[in-house]
Amino acid sequence: MIPVRAYFRLFTGYLRPHRAKATLLGALLLTTIALQLANPQLIKRFIDGAVAGEPASALIPIAIAFIVIALTHQLFAVWATYLAEQIGWSATNQLRADLTDHVLRLDMGFHKGTSPGELIERIDGDVTALSNFFSSMIIKVLGNGALLLGILVLLWLESWIVGLAITVFTVGTFLGLFRLHGVIVPWQKEIRATSAEMYGFIGEQVDGREDIEASGATEFMLSRFDAIQRKWLPQVIRGWTGWAMMWSASMALYFVSIAVVFVFGSLLFGVGALTLGSVYLVYQYVEMAHRPIEQIREELIDLQKAGASIERVEELLARESALIPRNDRRLPDEPLGVQFENVTFRYDDEAGNETILDNVSFDIAPGRVVGLLGRTGSGKSTIARLVTRMYEPQGGVVRIGGLATWDIDIADLRRRVAMVTQDVQLFRATVRDNLTFFDNSISDERLLEVIHRLELDEWLASLPAGLDSKLESGAGGLSGGQAQLLAFTRVYLRDPEVVVLDEASSRLDPATEALLERAVDHLLENRTAILIAHRLATVARADDIVILEDGRVVEYGERRRLESDPKSVFSRLLATGMNEALT
Amino acid sequence: MTDQPTPAFTRVLFRMIRQQPVRYGFALFLWVTIWTIPILIGLITAHFFDALTDEIPVTTLTMLVGAVLVYAVVRSMFIFMAMRNHASLLFRAAATMRRNLLVRIYELPGAAGLRETPGENVSRFRDDVEHIVEPFDLFVDFVGALVSGLIAFGIMLTIDPVITSVVAIPVLIVAIVSNRTGGLVRRYRKQARDATEAITGFLGETFAATQAVKVAGAEAHMLRHFQDLNDVRKTMMVRDRTLTAVLEAVFRNTVNIGTGLILLLAAGRLAATGAAGISLGEFALFVFLLHLVTDSAYFYGMFIARVKQGSVSVERLTSTMSGEPWERLVDRTELGLDTEPTGLTREVEKPGPFESLSIRDLSYHYPGSTNGIDGVDLDIALGEFVVLTGRIGSGKTTLLRAILGLLPAEGGTIEWNGEPVDDPATWLIPPRVAYTSQVPRLFSMSLEDNLVLGAKLSDDELAESIHIATMRHDIELMPDGLETLVGPRGVRLSGGQVQRSAAARMFTRAPQLLVLDDVSSALDVETEQTLWRRLFEARSDVAALVVSHRHSALARADRVVVMEKGRVVAVGTAEQLAETSEAFQAIWEGVVGGG
Repeated sequence: MIPVRAYFRLFTGYLRPHRAKATLLGALLLTTIALQLANPQLIKRFIDGAVAGEPASALIPIAIAFIVIALTHQLFAVWATYLAEQIGWSATNQLRADLTDHVLRLDMGFHKGTSPGELIERIDGDVTALSNFFSSMIIKVLGNGALLLGILVLLWLESWIVGLAITVFTVGTFLGLFRLHGVIVPWQKEIRATSAEMYGFIGEQVDGREDIEASGATEFMLSRFDAIQRKWLPQVIRGWTGWAMMWSASMALYFVSIAVVFVFGSLLFGVGALTLGSVYLVYQYVEMAHRPIEQIREELIDLQKAGASIERVEELLARESALIPRNDRRLPDEPLGVQFENVTFRYDDEAGNETILDNVSFDIAPGRVVGLLGRTGSGKSTIARLVTRMYEPQGGVVRIGGLATWDIDIADLRRRVAMVTQDVQLFRATVRDNLTFFDNSISDERLLEVIHRLELDEWLASLPAGLDSKLESGAGGLSGGQAQLLAFTRVYLRDPEVVVLDEASSRLDPATEALLERAVDHLLENRTAILIAHRLATVARADDIVILEDGRVVEYGERRRLESDPKSVFSRLLATGMNEALT
Repeated sequence: MTDQPTPAFTRVLFRMIRQQPVRYGFALFLWVTIWTIPILIGLITAHFFDALTDEIPVTTLTMLVGAVLVYAVVRSMFIFMAMRNHASLLFRAAATMRRNLLVRIYELPGAAGLRETPGENVSRFRDDVEHIVEPFDLFVDFVGALVSGLIAFGIMLTIDPVITSVVAIPVLIVAIVSNRTGGLVRRYRKQARDATEAITGFLGETFAATQAVKVAGAEAHMLRHFQDLNDVRKTMMVRDRTLTAVLEAVFRNTVNIGTGLILLLAAGRLAATGAAGISLGEFALFVFLLHLVTDSAYFYGMFIARVKQGSVSVERLTSTMSGEPWERLVDRTELGLDTEPTGLTREVEKPGPFESLSIRDLSYHYPGSTNGIDGVDLDIALGEFVVLTGRIGSGKTTLLRAILGLLPAEGGTIEWNGEPVDDPATWLIPPRVAYTSQVPRLFSMSLEDNLVLGAKLSDDELAESIHIATMRHDIELMPDGLETLVGPRGVRLSGGQVQRSAAARMFTRAPQLLVLDDVSSALDVETEQTLWRRLFEARSDVAALVVSHRHSALARADRVVVMEKGRVVAVGTAEQLAETSEAFQAIWEGVVGGG
C-alpha cells in the first residue's frame, strides 16, 4: 500500500522547519481545487441561461469569469509546484546530509561490506525517490484526492442518485486498483532488482576495465551483460502489462460513468429533475474526475517505490556503528603513550574468520617510536586500525594516553592520532581541497609551508595551476608514490601527537623513500609513533621493535638491545644482510 | 581523441526506428488508433445531448450505452497489445545503446582516465540512455495525437469555421511557446543533471575513501562540502521543475481558454434554433474535440522538450564514446535476447610460439602534463626475466600500460616476433600476454569465474594455475571454495588473496609473456619467489616483464631496466649496474643517489 505513515514517521522532523511554507502550500492547493470545481458551475449557468433565452449581454460576463478563473487556477498551480519543490528539496537535502553524516560514522566493517555505489543509491537514489514522493504525494495524490472528493460531493448535491452511482463505481474502481496494485508491485520489485544488478555490473566494468581488457575478457563480460538483459526483458514486458491492466481498470470506470450519465441524465431530465445545464454539469464533473483518477493511478507505482526507499533509508539510519563510544572522555593534555593489553582480534566479515591478533601486548611510552615488523598477514595493519579505532578488539584493550580507545571522545582521538596508509584516496577536486579534505579554514601559507618542508615544491610547480589544479579521480594522475607524498602532507597539516605509518613505504621505491626520511624525522619529533614497514631500514629510527608472526608477538624489546643480542630474531634478520628479510 | 559532432535529434530518432522497423510500425499503428478512436466517444456524447432536448427513445439510449461499452473493450485490447509491443521496443532500443557503450568503453585504452567518475558513468548508462529512449517512445504518442488533433480540427471546422479559427489561436500559441522554450528547458535540465552528477561523484569518492576521511577526522568538512553541492542542486532542480510546471500550465490551460472563447462567441447562439444556432451536442463535441487538438499541441511541446533533452544525452554519450560517430551508439548489435549467450565459455586459442617483443622509441604523456614516458626502447625474448625498476613517478607503470595499449602511445613501434603490432590493446592480450596491475580487481561473481573469465579449461589446468599462484590454501579456507562469491557483494578477500587471485587469473590464460606491475604491496618476498620458481618450472615457453625494486627480483633478473623521469637510463644485470649506474645504486641501497 501507499507508505504514508512510514513516510511521515521518517519525514515529519524534516518538514517541521518548513511549516509556514507547507501551510501556504495547503492553502494554495485548496484554492486551486475550489477554482477547478467552480468553472463547470459557470457553464451550467451559461447553458441554462441560453436555454431560457437570456441575452448575450447577460451571458458574456459568465464567459469572461470562466476565463479569469481558469487563468488564476493555473497561476496558483505553478506557485504550488514551486513551493512543493522548494520544501521537498530542502527537506530531503537535510535528510541526505544526515544520512551521509550517519554513514560516515559507521564502522569500517560496514564500509568494507558496502560498495560506494550502493551508498550512492541509498543516499541519493532513494532519497530523491522520497523527494519525488513528496511532490507526488502532496500535489498529485492528496490534491487530486481532494478534487475527486469535491467532485463527488457536488455530484451528490446535483442529484443524489447520480452521486451515489458514481461514488459506488469510483470506490469500486479504487478497490480494484489497489488489489491490482498488490499484484503488480512484486513485478516492479523484480524489475528494480535486475536493474540494480545491471547498473552494479556496469559500474564494476567501468571501474575494472584495465583488468578486463588486459585479460582479454571483454567477450566474456559482454556475455554476462547479455545474460542480465535476457533475464530483464520478460520482466519489463510483464511490468508494462501490469501498467496496461491499471490503465484499463481506470478507463473502465470512466466509460461506466459516462454510461451512468446517459441513463440517469436522460431519465432525470425526462421527469424534470435536472435542467439541461445540470446534465451537462454532471457530464463535465464525470469527465473531470477522469484526470485525478488517472494521476492517482500513475502515482501508485511510484509511491510504492518510495515505500521500498523509505524502508532502505530507515534500515540504514537504524544501523548502529559496531563501535559505540562507551564514554566521551578527552585525552589527557600531555604526550600520549599507546598500550596493547592481551589484544585478540578477528575480522567478523572475512573469509575463514581467522584470528588475526592473538593475545598481543606491548607498551609504547610517550614520545617513543616503535618499529613493527612481520610478514604480510601477520597483523601489522590490523594493529594500525585498532590504534585509530577503525575496529575494536574482541579481547583485551587498546589504550591511548592511559584511556581505553572506546572511552575516548572520537573527535579528540582523530585530532591527536593520525595514520598514513598505502592506499591514498584522492578526490576529483583541487589539490588544495585534496590536502585539506575541503576544510577551507586552512590557509594557503600553511599549505605551502608544509609542502616546502616535504620538498614537494617542484611537484607543485609542475602542476598547471598550483594549489588550484584539479586532480582526476582515482589515482588522480599521480603515481602511487606521489599520492603517498600527498597523504604525508595531509598528516603534517594536522600536527597529531600519535602517528601510525602503515606500510607507508611499501610502494615507494627506496630512492624516494630516502627522500622522505628527513620528512619522517620531522614528523616523528616529539611524537609517539608506530612504524610499520617491510624494510628493516625503515625501522632504523625506531626506539623499540615489535616482531609479529601469525598474530603473535614473537619479539619485543629495545632496538639497541635486540641488535646486540645475537640470539634475537631481530639481529638474525639484520645478519641476513637482506634489506627485506621479513616481507 | 576529439568527439564526433552530434547530429540533429531527428536523425538519431529515424536511425533508431530503422533498427526495429516492424516493431515500430506496429507501435505507430496501435498508438495512432488508441489516440484517434476517442473521437467516437465525442460523437456519441454529442448525439446524446442533441437527443436529450427531446424525449430519448429507449432503443437510442440502449444503443448509445452499448456503443460506449463496446468502445471501452476495444480500446482496452489495443492498449494491452500496444503496451507489450512497446515494452519490447523500448527495452531493445535501450539495451542496444547500453551494449554499444559498453563495447566502446572496452575498446578505449583501459588505463586512460575516463572523463567522468565511475558514478557518473553509471548514470550515463542509466539516465542518458533513458533520456534518448523517451523521445523515441513519445514520438508515437506525438504522431497519434497529431492525427487525432487534425481529424478533430477538421470536424470542428465543419461545425463552425469562425469559432474554430478563433480557438485555434491559443493552440498555436502553445505550439510556439513549446518550440521557443526548448532551449531553456534543455539548459535547465543540463544544469540540474550536472549538479546531480557532482553529488553522486562526490559521494562515490567519499565512500571509497571512508577510512582516510575518518582518520583525518574530516567528516564535518566533507559534510559541509556535500551540503554546498546539495544546495546548488536544489536551486537547479526547483528551477527546472517550476519551468516544467509553467509549460504544463500553459498547455493545460489552452482547453479552458478555448472553452471560454467558445462561450464568448457562442453567447446568444447556443441552444438557439436555425442555421446560426449551436446545439448543446455541438457545443459538447466542440469542447471535447478541443481537448484532442490541445493534446496534440501539448504532445508536440512535450516531444520537443524531450527531443532537446535527448540531444543533450546524445551529446554526452557521444563524448563517452570518445571519437566514435554517434551512429555507433544506436546501430543494431547482437543483443542475445533471443538466444543463449555464447561467450560465457570459449576455447583458448593457441598462438604461434613466442620469440621476442621489442619496443622502440615509445612515448606517452598524460593529458595536460609533461609526465609520462619518452622514447623508451625495450627488448624481451623467450625465457627472459626482465625487471623494470626506478623511483616513484619514473614511468614504470606508464611504460607497461603504453606497451599493452592500456594507454594510447603517442609514438614508437612495438614488434612481436619481428612483426609490427598495430593495435597492442587487442593483440597483446591472452593467450599471448597476460598482465596484473598494481591493484588488481575482482568482480562480483564466483571466484572460479573470476579466475577463468570464460576460458575453457580442464580441472587440471585450473588446479595448476592455482598452484603456481600459491593460492590453494586460500581457496581451502573459503566457505564455498571456488564457488565462493567474491567482489563487493560477496566475501571480502585480503589484499594478498586478491593479488594471488589475479596471478592465478593470469596463469589460466596460459600466456607466453607475463607482465606484472609491482606486487610487493600485497605479496611477501617468499610468496613472490615461490611464484616465479613454480612458473618457470612449469613452463619453459614463457618470458616475464616485471616491475620491482626487491633485491630478490633484481638479482634474479636476466636484465634490469632502470627508469628515471620517463626514460630508460640504464640496462644490464644487477651486478653490472651496481658498478655503473648511479640511479641503480640509489635503488639498490635505498639512498638518494644521482637523481
